[in-house]
Amino acid sequence: MIRRFLREPPKYFAILSMVPKVFMAYQVWFWVSIVLNAIGMAILYFFWRAVYGSTEVIAGLTLNTTLTYILFAQVFRPLTDIDLIFEFGYGLREGGILHLLLRPINFQAMYYFQNLGTLGVQMVLQIPMALVATFVFGLKWHTDPAVWGAFLVSALLGFTALFFFVYCVACLTFYTTEVWGLGVLFFGMSIFLSGGLVPLAMMPDWLQAVVLAIPFSQALAVPINILTGITPLSEVPRIWLSQGLWVLGLWLVSNLVFKVAIRKVTVQGG
Amino acid sequence: MAEFFRYISLYRLFLVQRLKALMEYRVNFIIGAASTIFLQASSILAIWVVMQKVPDLNGWNYDEILLVYGLITLAKSINHMFADNLWTLGRVYIRSGGFDRFLVRPINPLFHLLADRFCQDGVGNFLVGVALVIKASIALDLAWTPLKLLALIVGVLSGGVIFIALNLLTCVTSFWIVDSVPVTRLVFDNHLFAQYPLTIYPKAINVLLTWIVPYGLASFYPASYLLDRDLGYLTWLAPLVAAFLLFIAYRAWEVGLKHYNSTGT
Repeated sequence: MIRRFLREPPKYFAILSMVPKVFMAYQVWFWVSIVLNAIGMAILYFFWRAVYGSTEVIAGLTLNTTLTYILFAQVFRPLTDIDLIFEFGYGLREGGILHLLLRPINFQAMYYFQNLGTLGVQMVLQIPMALVATFVFGLKWHTDPAVWGAFLVSALLGFTALFFFVYCVACLTFYTTEVWGLGVLFFGMSIFLSGGLVPLAMMPDWLQAVVLAIPFSQALAVPINILTGITPLSEVPRIWLSQGLWVLGLWLVSNLVFKVAIRKVTVQGG
Repeated sequence: MAEFFRYISLYRLFLVQRLKALMEYRVNFIIGAASTIFLQASSILAIWVVMQKVPDLNGWNYDEILLVYGLITLAKSINHMFADNLWTLGRVYIRSGGFDRFLVRPINPLFHLLADRFCQDGVGNFLVGVALVIKASIALDLAWTPLKLLALIVGVLSGGVIFIALNLLTCVTSFWIVDSVPVTRLVFDNHLFAQYPLTIYPKAINVLLTWIVPYGLASFYPASYLLDRDLGYLTWLAPLVAAFLLFIAYRAWEVGLKHYNSTGT
């Protein structure tokens, strides 16, 4: 081995030099994603400033309220990032899903808590974005604990409802085995339907009804409306109740869908 | 010239093979192409909602904004369809050692990389771009003179080359750092600014989008010309900038190739 190393050192140094490159790739992604999110934030910021260039109030919202809403929606965007479609799809392709299905624990509960944990980590990773929103784009944070409490409960309920909805859609991969297109399609829909680009109040009534009928908005627009003050605290109990019903209904539906879809599972590899 | 035609016919062969593979999974092909349409629909719907409430955005009405948006989408679709594989150079080819395969074949490795995968998702972007430009053109009653038609074609093609050149320039870093996607994204995401008229941004962002990462040349400048808001020589700058960027990017690729040492996988 030593003789071979002495004969061909460049080859082995190349392998050695690969390790820090692979390690650095993860670090680099963290910092790059901050810049990418800041670019997205800047576009929305200047877009909305231009929108308010010729008017002071749109659908009852001032520029300040709208910007607060949009910036909060960017900071709390991980609330809508539930990555089950790719998880199911690749699990099917590589066979890993088989082991998970055979484990003596509840398959759905396992994924729920996994996604809840991911949300927690993602929110910690969003701290730099919160700082950019605050110090670069002038986001003002609420100090009223009642508002924060109302927001947090609503966010958790909305996230849970959305989880059960995504769970239903992810079951489609049992039929299609297609992942990438379905995932991108779903992501594309979520961007608008979550209410992260435009406050719900600005949408025409029919569109608002559509957006509220699909649970993306429950996880983002509804709680952000509370945090921004667009929804007053007096309305919060009604909203919690409605979100609770969403959770219950979608939990039942997701279990039903899973029971039917699981019969179609064909693991391709593993 | 014979070499050029050889590559054209080779590309055709690669494309036919790729389409055969894609057609094995027809539903997936359609979902893939449709997925980008949905992605664009989100942003366009947001613009539509907002423009129902205000008459214009810094002097640009809804259809004029759609024209800007449509032009950048068209330019992006060229890159998406024909050069999407640049994104995967590090992750798929270099890390796995698969890139070595390109080096032992009697064709240009960059050509091989690009021809290896026609990306069907770009078709969705192309259709969205065409639809937006046609929609805006009809709504704005644009008078299509030969010069304007030329500006449209030159703008879109140059824009496509600018996208490809900037992606090539940044993907070359994978010869040193293996995964170039973060670097490419850092530059590529700036094109999102160019989906709207540059006048809504501060001067610094205008300079960035015109001179440093010149995606604005693919959308705002040709759109301004088509709408008779002539911006002088800047309208016709795109092909020169595109050629210059492509030259620099290809030189960088050659340097990268010289530094390439396989991962040993």
